[in-house]
Amino acid sequence: MTPAEPVAAVPSPTDAALIAAWQGGEEQAAAELVRRHTRALARFLAGAGAPEADLDDVVQETFIRAFRAVGTFRGQCRFRTWLLTIGGNVLKDAHRRAKRARVVPLADELRSTDGDPHERAVSAEAEGRLGEALQGLPRLQREVFLLRAQQGLEYDEIAAALGTTPGAARVHYHHAVKRLKECLK
Amino acid sequence: MNDDGTLQDAELREVARRLGARAAERVDVERTAQAVVARLREEQRAPLRGAAWTWSQPVWLKIAAALVIVAGSGLVARAVRHAPSGLAAPVETVDLGDLSVAELRELLHSVEQPGAAEPVSWQDVGLEDLSPAELRTLLASLEPQT
Repeated sequence: MTPAEPVAAVPSPTDAALIAAWQGGEEQAAAELVRRHTRALARFLAGAGAPEADLDDVVQETFIRAFRAVGTFRGQCRFRTWLLTIGGNVLKDAHRRAKRARVVPLADELRSTDGDPHERAVSAEAEGRLGEALQGLPRLQREVFLLRAQQGLEYDEIAAALGTTPGAARVHYHHAVKRLKECLK
Repeated sequence: MNDDGTLQDAELREVARRLGARAAERVDVERTAQAVVARLREEQRAPLRGAAWTWSQPVWLKIAAALVIVAGSGLVARAVRHAPSGLAAPVETVDLGDLSVAELRELLHSVEQPGAAEPVSWQDVGLEDLSPAELRTLLASLEPQT
């Protein structure tokens, strides 16, 4: 009896491969892309001011728009980064339609059951304040800040996604931080 | 957070990193994936239906145009065929018995001409069975004996 050969881990397909597969008619490739990026997208949208009650809809709409326009995606940045910028556009349109103020779901935050209740409340308060302060920023500054501070992207990547230069992205980020600090004093 | 309530850079980044995480956790990823796929499927069907209809439009237009051309051509041909020549008109409404000798001679002359020899104008006046020779005989019979 021969010892069992180690099974090589099958590398998961890249985003580019999944996009190509979907364009070739493979539905499940689209589903896999959605599974892969939903959480990051939802986090970005929630941070950018999407009301929690509408988050599902905004996430779905973002994916739909992205798949419609995927032929224009030239790989100038990662698919996820490109997706987040589309999410920003969807959110802007949703805000324009709804014309309603963002409600910080503080009560929902407090309903969370993990961790120390006091820490949770402090954390939720800080997030709520930051969320409100972000709404006061110009859209570009807000998105650059979130892409950098929340998503951890490099300036090169941010610049490629937003069609600007890394230097300009850096300036937007620093302006955003300065204004957020002033708002949070 | 500092004592004065301001956020330092590192804290700001930390709060930003957590921002929206709880809300995102509540999103049902699998349900989202299935919903997106269903919508994409529906959108792919809808343009196909639209495209088929759009594609068929020129075909129908071409068929309609061809029918109009055929029908129009038929009408024109019929009109041309039935169009009265310069002499046929009076012949249609005039009994040969009412014609004078000069008129009958003129009529005979026109029948002998190649262009007028076509049976077109004669069909309508009941002379289609007469050859030029027969018409000449007819004319001769009608001439007064002098």
